[in-house]
Amino acid sequence: MDRAGVFATSFGRDQALIRTRQQWIAFALFAVLLVALPYVVGPRLVAISTAMMISAVVVIGLQINTGYAGQVNLGQAAFMGVGAYAAGVCATKFGLPFWLSIPLGGCAAAVFGFIFGLSAVRIKGFYLALTTIAAQMLFHFMILNVPSSWFGGSNGLSLEPARIFGVALDTDRSIYFLCLVVTAIMTFGAYGIVRSRHGRAFVAVRDDDVASGMMGVNVVRTKATAFLIGAFYAGIGGGLWAYYVRFVAVDQFTLFHSIWFIAMIIVGGMGSVTGALIGVFIITAVRESFVTLGPSLVQSFPALGGDVVFALMNVFLGGIIAAFLIFEPRGLMHRWTILKRSYRLWPFPY
Amino acid sequence: MKIFNRQNIAGAIAALGILSTATAANAQTTYNIASMADFTGPYADVMKDLIGARRPAIEWWNAEVGSKLGIKLNSKDYDHRYDAAQVASLWPGIKAELNPIVVLGVGGPDVAALQGRLPADKVPMIMSTAGYGFAWKPDPWIFNPRPTYSHEAAAFFEWYRGKRGGTGPLKVAVISSEASPAYVDQHKGIEKYAKDNPDKVEVVEVVFTEVQPTDLTTQVNRVLRKGAEVISIQTNTAAVVATKRAMQAVGKKVPILMSSHNGVLDSGRAVGDVKQMEGDFEVYAMAVPTEEKTPSRAFFDMLTAKYNMKAQWTVTAVQGLAQTLVALRAIEAAAAKVGADKITGESIRDAMLATDIKSDRIFSVLSDLDFTNEAPFPVKGLKAGIGTIKDGKYAAAAQDAPVPVLNKW
Repeated sequence: MDRAGVFATSFGRDQALIRTRQQWIAFALFAVLLVALPYVVGPRLVAISTAMMISAVVVIGLQINTGYAGQVNLGQAAFMGVGAYAAGVCATKFGLPFWLSIPLGGCAAAVFGFIFGLSAVRIKGFYLALTTIAAQMLFHFMILNVPSSWFGGSNGLSLEPARIFGVALDTDRSIYFLCLVVTAIMTFGAYGIVRSRHGRAFVAVRDDDVASGMMGVNVVRTKATAFLIGAFYAGIGGGLWAYYVRFVAVDQFTLFHSIWFIAMIIVGGMGSVTGALIGVFIITAVRESFVTLGPSLVQSFPALGGDVVFALMNVFLGGIIAAFLIFEPRGLMHRWTILKRSYRLWPFPY
Repeated sequence: MKIFNRQNIAGAIAALGILSTATAANAQTTYNIASMADFTGPYADVMKDLIGARRPAIEWWNAEVGSKLGIKLNSKDYDHRYDAAQVASLWPGIKAELNPIVVLGVGGPDVAALQGRLPADKVPMIMSTAGYGFAWKPDPWIFNPRPTYSHEAAAFFEWYRGKRGGTGPLKVAVISSEASPAYVDQHKGIEKYAKDNPDKVEVVEVVFTEVQPTDLTTQVNRVLRKGAEVISIQTNTAAVVATKRAMQAVGKKVPILMSSHNGVLDSGRAVGDVKQMEGDFEVYAMAVPTEEKTPSRAFFDMLTAKYNMKAQWTVTAVQGLAQTLVALRAIEAAAAKVGADKITGESIRDAMLATDIKSDRIFSVLSDLDFTNEAPFPVKGLKAGIGTIKDGKYAAAAQDAPVPVLNKW
């Protein structure tokens, strides 16, 4: 909804992501901020930002799959792991450059996700959640049990830094920019998907799959496509992770991580790409703030002891997430929408 | 009047000389140590003693050793949540803010997230946990004062076989899980050792269970029928409890072998009574924290009395002490080589590779350590401690069981 007095006069304008001059200015300032960030903040914040962007790609995929298409997915970390391993194998075994390895990692994850998407055709709700947990287990056992010459088995995979024009992307700043470019592409891609006929089909299937089927939406294809796209995003995130840490092992992609991803879309708001980004930002920022604050508190109050300080922080973090679920279960994006509507309608009451 | 006569000038020079010498003696170069631990992750419950042992050891060193060398060490704790992602995002900040000369690490996430970065950042990391076969690579920047879990198990097998007598191989069953690469690595190492030494050890079966098994009666009965003389469980206490219950159900008993993180006391508490662990064993290449008056126990008591040590005398406290003492002695060796004011992470690593750390220098918490460029842990010459429950009490069955040389797996 635009502010009072602003009307879209063409389909293109109506579909535009950025619709007003003010929005363009805000977007440009935000883009400048993102580009300037590594030069104005310390390495710790750069590293946190990089981790946020990797998580953002994965969580946007989950948002498309779960938030838009309504397909419960507790296996997003496994899809991310498939992408990380595939990118790692492409880089180490076949010597492919990162700009090929990462998309191929995404494709491998998409294929893996598509298989579980097919099961979503017949089941939903808790049963589907269980199936996606099975994806998590399957990934784990597959990596550990196939010949270790394939994926490294329990040894994991070590990668060389990504290279572009002979320059190694092995500094915090360079890997930040790699993640920034990929995240920007994936984010705009997500906005495009959710505004397309596929996105409308996702929402229709989420709201009522029987009715949407009767209206001509191919429910089978839509559900499978949602998994395919969601897993592709996770795979791209996994590829970035592989080049960021330069070591891939199965215990980096656990059910615990999948649950964190779910928490991010709940806090940010289901059914919104921006909500996914906000969720990633809020959860990561709160968590990292506690982790950063903890050592200073321990040094200031040594009598408390690290175990007490850090444990209290964990309780506090859990409390914040619980408070979100109690007071704003539809996520921060819903609160933002209410706020936006009120100031856009001003001075009219409704 | 002549103010600057020769005597006055000589006196002033002498006074300046004395002053500068005194200043140099008092001048201390301060270095930082990054102390990683899991305060809020899955192993938070056992971190208290580990962290509690690190800080008093550093304070002792500052007071007794560093003050003479002109070095002061500061340490800062970081919560890595036992999560590689957390370590990866923490490390650049630690490097920039703290600029540590050495890192004290715990577990796989530190290794996974930092093994690619530490060589470039030129900071060594010293671990408290045992090593893994998958991290057995040359040119280490990550050091394990303990060998792999498989090395430690092999040390027990050889010791127990000698105690048993006879010529045949010791028949061993392994209860493991595929839930973690670390668990897989443990049994792979044992299988490799058995394959290379068929006269010493025979693995009758590796039983794979879920991470937290509840009933292993069928599996335990099967391996006992195959003649297992020892059941090795280096995964967790839940597997030990399930195995113990299974043996009680089938009315048989063979010793269970455990490790540092699921030892006889922890598992005994989980079973309900440590007396039920009578005749079972734990093995690790460190001192066994019994009530015996050993040099390590005396050192621990001194830290408690003088440096406000709050940790209990447990295996995790020994782990914390072990890694910290190795780091401190490596810093000393680096200071001797490059000078107290020129210590870097790289000089510490070089010193670790070039200098043996004798057991008496680390209060027998560990055996003699000889790090080489071929592995992150000493590949030979180590000794393992073996703990047990004897007559209902925690006791050391052996303090110096030789750790055999294993081939890579």
